[in-house]
Amino acid sequence: MAREITAPVRFVLFVVIVFFTVLEIYSQTSPEFTFNKEYITVKKDVKTSGNFYVYRGEIPKDEFSSINPVLGKLIEEKTSIRFTPLIPFGWNQKYTVVYGDTIEYFVLDIPEEYEYLSVTSIYPSAKTLPSNLLKWYIQFSHPINETHIYDHIRFINAVGDTLPRAALSLENALISNHGKLLTVWVEPGRQKRDLIPNKQLGPVFKNENSYKLVVLKKLKDINGISMHDNFIHSFQITNADRIKPDINSWKIQAPKVNSKSRLLISCHEPLDYGSTQNSITVINTKGEKINGNWQFTDHESTMFFTPLHPWKKGNYNILLQPHIEDLAGNNLDRLFDSEITDTISSHILPKVHKIKFSIK
Amino acid sequence: MILSFLESSILANSSLKVDFKTGNPGITSINSMTFGPEGILFIGDSKSAQIVAIDLSTHPKVDNSAVKIDFLDKLIADMLGTAIDQIQITDMAVNPENDNIYLSVHHSSGNVVLFRIENNTLKKVSLDNISHSKTSLIDPVDKEAKDKRGRKLRKWAVADIKYTSGKVLLSGLSNKEFASTFRSVDFPFTDKQDYGSLEIYHAAHGQYETHAPIKAFISTKIKGSSHIVAGYTCTPLVIFPMNDIKPGKHNKGRTIAELGSGNSPVDMVEIENGGQRYLLIANNNRPLMKMEFTDLESYNGSLTTPVIKKGAAEGVSYVNLPYVNVQQLDKFGGSGFLIVQRESSGNLTLKKGNSWWLEK
Repeated sequence: MAREITAPVRFVLFVVIVFFTVLEIYSQTSPEFTFNKEYITVKKDVKTSGNFYVYRGEIPKDEFSSINPVLGKLIEEKTSIRFTPLIPFGWNQKYTVVYGDTIEYFVLDIPEEYEYLSVTSIYPSAKTLPSNLLKWYIQFSHPINETHIYDHIRFINAVGDTLPRAALSLENALISNHGKLLTVWVEPGRQKRDLIPNKQLGPVFKNENSYKLVVLKKLKDINGISMHDNFIHSFQITNADRIKPDINSWKIQAPKVNSKSRLLISCHEPLDYGSTQNSITVINTKGEKINGNWQFTDHESTMFFTPLHPWKKGNYNILLQPHIEDLAGNNLDRLFDSEITDTISSHILPKVHKIKFSIK
Repeated sequence: MILSFLESSILANSSLKVDFKTGNPGITSINSMTFGPEGILFIGDSKSAQIVAIDLSTHPKVDNSAVKIDFLDKLIADMLGTAIDQIQITDMAVNPENDNIYLSVHHSSGNVVLFRIENNTLKKVSLDNISHSKTSLIDPVDKEAKDKRGRKLRKWAVADIKYTSGKVLLSGLSNKEFASTFRSVDFPFTDKQDYGSLEIYHAAHGQYETHAPIKAFISTKIKGSSHIVAGYTCTPLVIFPMNDIKPGKHNKGRTIAELGSGNSPVDMVEIENGGQRYLLIANNNRPLMKMEFTDLESYNGSLTTPVIKKGAAEGVSYVNLPYVNVQQLDKFGGSGFLIVQRESSGNLTLKKGNSWWLEK
């Protein structure tokens, strides 16, 4: 006699199926063998006595002696053996496990919900840039793999050719902000007038030309997973900037008293993202620092400061570190390609610049 | 018990290791490393902004006279269970007292591994419980701002590190200013840190001063007095008298050679053989170069006129040795040298250089 499955039974069945599916996803298991990114566990029995090795790749038995096993710690527990690799197992990387006479192969599939690496912002963000532009900052969604990272950055001209020797290829990558912000120097030897590369190859970017900065999708995150797509940022080149940022021309819009309204500084030109960060402070007449947050807007040409507490009536100073630069590396004290004539540096122990404002 | 007592009394007797403690120095990157006396390895760790001195004197003397490891990158990838493009060999150092060879490797996951070579295989050196001493790399520009929020954006990448008579010397590049900061830190470490800026007249120009960072350098004696010989990108070779390098001072060096544009030095070592001193320079875009100290010392000129001929070399003469794509270089066994080289077949090999090239 056929019996209908009742709703509670259906629910229990559903829960059981979900439970085992979830288990399957998070712990890829064979009867004696469990693995995840951090370790492999093998149930102890007669077959597991003897050797225990893990190899990179799918390795046939006769090649074991010619390949070095993966480094890691082997811990014998009561009923199982646990191998923890020195470096977590990689996604999509095949491995061979040898225990006793048994050989198993495994691979960790990239989880479906994996958040792929992407570029979230780029500085300078303006679409028109000076030909003597010096630096780019690329902000990624996740920490990036820094090995040979500059190989994945390209500058492409309007006809689609990659510019040779456009970025400074550093052995030790400049990555900050928890591994997510990459600094790319546009070859300074070419951007700075009269150096050999500048004389022989000319500046990297030509006036009135358009270019693309491309971050190739093969750039990987720290788990070894590539981006889904190339990141492409187009920009146009205009005249070189050979003028220092002039703080006297900056326009200050003072905030309102007893409010948390924003203090605005219009700089009339985009500033360099990196050198400006953490280089500006607001103090009151007692020299106390006003706590709050600085942000850029208008393609990094306007800065605004939002205080943590409401503004009080009085006089204030905005302190600016002299190493704040424009896009061409000219800082508040000197031009990027000016000659330093004195032997004692004025900018190693620099003087801080000040802009005054009052809140009435 | 008696042995350990003896060992600790020996350690205590060493004035250089008097501050050493056993524990985890928290090394998160090894950008550059060099041996000092008594088996002390100095590590430039940009990620943790520190210099760490670790005691490796307990590693036994080894016979590495037949050292040769082919497919070094594959070997490391196999041992770390990862793809070759996920690893970067950041430096190689040889302990002159016992011929132990060390390689530092970065993995994309952020892990850093130090290997020691034994019988042409790699042995991992544990860095989490080791006798060490360390000091922070204080930021010269942000010195006052060190406790304020948001310092994470600044990054100082160590390019080279050397030890000479009680001082650890470092060169590097920041992601903010393009400046050749050069640091001198007393060892045993104290709170004192000197930083100067070593600047040069590039032979290509007379008018513009450059802030190019030093990629590789050595400290040495020239005509009996202490000097720094520094190699810059693109590729001037410049000497600075040690006595002239003073804190907060711009030091303009004497450019003694132009080694050709489109090139960057990778490593530099001084080797003495048969009473002659040689400077070996590994390059990223030129073969391994050999310069004789007698030529270097007798050159009294300073290159201040542009190099007209494209890619031409000027100044102190040198010889190109038949080793191209040398990625790592160090002195080995008294009068020889050791290299990591990408051969034309694609094989990344660690091997001894033929000392025949360093004979008169």
